[in-house]
Amino acid sequence: MLDLLIFVAVPYISIALALVVTPYRYFSGRLTWSAYSTQFLERKTLFWGSVPWHYGVILLLAGHAIGFLFPSAVQSLLSNFSTLLAMESIALGLGLLALLGTVILVFRRAFTGIRAVTEVADWIVILLVLNQAITGVYMGLFARWGMEWYLHTAVPWLYSLLTLKPNIALVSGLPLMFKIHVLGAFLILAFLPFTKFVHFLFLPFGFLFDPPILYRWVRDRRAKRI
Amino acid sequence: MDVRAQLVMTFNLDKCLGCHTCSISCKNIWTDRKGAEYMWWNNVETKPGAGYPKFWEDQERYKGGWVLKGNKVKLKAFGKLSTLLNMFFQPHMPKLEDYYHPWTYEYSKLYEGGEEDDQPVAEPVSLITGEKMEIEFGPNWDDDLGGSPLYAENDVNLEERRILHTFSKLFMFYLPRICNHCLNPACVGACPQRAIYKRGEDGIVLVDQNTCRGWRFCVTACPYKKVYYNWNTGKSEKCIFCYPRVETAQANACAHSCVGKIRHVGVLLYDADRIDEVIKAKDADLVEAQRRIILDPNDERIVRLAKENGIPDSWIEAARKSPTYAFVKEYEIAFPLHPEFRTVPMTFYIPPLSPILATQRIAYEVEDYDEIPSRESLRVPVRYLAKLFSAGNEEIIHEALDKMIALRYYMRAKNLGESFDESVLRKAGLTPESAERLYKLMTLASYEERFAIPPAHREYLDAKDAEMRKGAKGFGILSSTRGGV
Ligand code: HEM
Ligand code: SF4
Ligand code: SF4
Repeated sequence: MLDLLIFVAVPYISIALALVVTPYRYFSGRLTWSAYSTQFLERKTLFWGSVPWHYGVILLLAGHAIGFLFPSAVQSLLSNFSTLLAMESIALGLGLLALLGTVILVFRRAFTGIRAVTEVADWIVILLVLNQAITGVYMGLFARWGMEWYLHTAVPWLYSLLTLKPNIALVSGLPLMFKIHVLGAFLILAFLPFTKFVHFLFLPFGFLFDPPILYRWVRDRRAKRI
Repeated sequence: MDVRAQLVMTFNLDKCLGCHTCSISCKNIWTDRKGAEYMWWNNVETKPGAGYPKFWEDQERYKGGWVLKGNKVKLKAFGKLSTLLNMFFQPHMPKLEDYYHPWTYEYSKLYEGGEEDDQPVAEPVSLITGEKMEIEFGPNWDDDLGGSPLYAENDVNLEERRILHTFSKLFMFYLPRICNHCLNPACVGACPQRAIYKRGEDGIVLVDQNTCRGWRFCVTACPYKKVYYNWNTGKSEKCIFCYPRVETAQANACAHSCVGKIRHVGVLLYDADRIDEVIKAKDADLVEAQRRIILDPNDERIVRLAKENGIPDSWIEAARKSPTYAFVKEYEIAFPLHPEFRTVPMTFYIPPLSPILATQRIAYEVEDYDEIPSRESLRVPVRYLAKLFSAGNEEIIHEALDKMIALRYYMRAKNLGESFDESVLRKAGLTPESAERLYKLMTLASYEERFAIPPAHREYLDAKDAEMRKGAKGFGILSSTRGGV
């Protein structure tokens, strides 16, 4: 029953929310689309929280995505034991980095002057990522070779979700920590359109190719640039 | 040649009283909101002094503006790669305390408190946390050289700190500042989200609130620190040149309310193709390079090219009457603030004439010179002015001061019915007619003459897009913002 909830119901609801509400927010409430930086009010602790967290999580997310998109390529790469060992160690390092970051961020929310700009939504966001970091690092330490078994359990299960034939058997035997990690991940997806999580959806890359100065014209409504 | 038009403000520092009326009218209209309490889109600071935010001119500290490296102009703070790497934390951005922690007083205590033995007091409370606070610093804390050892003495433009301890040499003047609506705005160049843009029609630089995601690279990049982060909306805001007012041909709130009538607003035509030349000029040539790309609205060819570029007749007409054109280009007495930041700022300052040094010798000399001091005897060192307004080029500051001194000499003689030596005027590059015109423009000009602002052309506006544009312009929002569930 719990498995059904974690591996079928929550994922589908979360995906639906993310797919429907995100565009809605984009078109109706873009004025609230921001990372709501609090650096302006407190910067010393933020540095030690935000930088490790983001460097950790972005690389780890990329790792998850690569494993999901190219399972067989990753599989053959990891068949070399020393590669697997190296990759696992790097991942664990990044995980610890992210964990360190989130713990600092949580303390910062609780004990520094930024309480004035902290609302329930901020707590939801930060506790959800704390959960991801704790459960992730736990698996790195106590459920070894996650990189390997991820490819044979979570990835096929995710594909089964996508093809609308959810196959819980692939993942139901995995440890509780894994289940909490998955639940947390989909809750993040569910909360994404409602919170400042949206901040990482539209990553700016255009500026890498644009000329530096941007002009906008009312007159002929063409963006003219120099 | 790519002729474009811009609305430009000039400040005649000779007449600024430091009354802060401009700042207040701006605040009342635009930044009297949660998250914006600390913002002063228009501020007036005492020079020498720390300014707002503290020591904003010190780019070793804040890394604002552009720097010339070889034949390339780059943002001082970040390249493209380091922009990506620094998205999660802005190392050089000023913190709240560099501006000041905004506060109010618990006035309600004064009439709501019950009967007590002691007088009720209105204690200061933070406008951010609502908690009681100690006031340790505020806007214009160092007004009129207050706390000089901490502030004025550390002014980066001041070479001779001892001046501040030498009563006979002590000087100060006021510097009102708004966003310069630059031609090469560092804020625009730094924004990874491309949310900041320069309006083609009138040159106003705006932060598109719909696109801004609050990465804050603009705050770091603007060397004048004229983009502000709103801690409530999570987005950046800046001076909007009162576009809702100027679009309807009214003067900006700051300029309109200016008690000293030191501000003029008018159209300048410029050649956008040659901005590159300006930003790559040597420090000492920066001002002149910028003057060169400002175009003559009476030149037939330029008018034709302006029309081809879609600049309306009313704007060309306004450019001809523009007081800013007169100050910047015809008389060459108005200068950009810190041109060495290479943003090509488009507000201009007429440097102040100041009282003479109080040493006896000079007082005698002044009498010799018909009561009008020579520029060497002015209290504000030309070197200091050159650091502010011409990237160190003292020569062009001299020329401007000489013009103003000659003008005084001429007008004084005229008012008193005394004879005068016209060669003084000519040596300074003036004629009796041009001196007369300059005098009128600086002192007697009517509201319409001071603010030659053509209205925006409604026929260019497409009603379909109005909603979209509304979000794309301007500043923060009033509704609940913090993206809550
Ligand atoms: C990929 C590009 C990303 C960028 C550019 C980015 C940028 C930022 C920025 C500027 C902040 C505000 C920090 C401050 O207070 O000044 C922030 C906060 C935050 N980001 Fe990201 N982020 C990214 C990705 C992510 C990802 C993938 C996650 C997690 C799924 C994430 C989770 C968070 C959280 C939880 C906070 C809030 C920290 C707090 O409340 O103290 N970010 N991010
Ligand atoms: S003064 Fe600063 S904010 Fe204004 S246009 Fe120039 S760089 Fe941008
Ligand atoms: S209102 Fe005018 S005179 Fe008064 S401080 Fe502002 S610029 Fe100076």
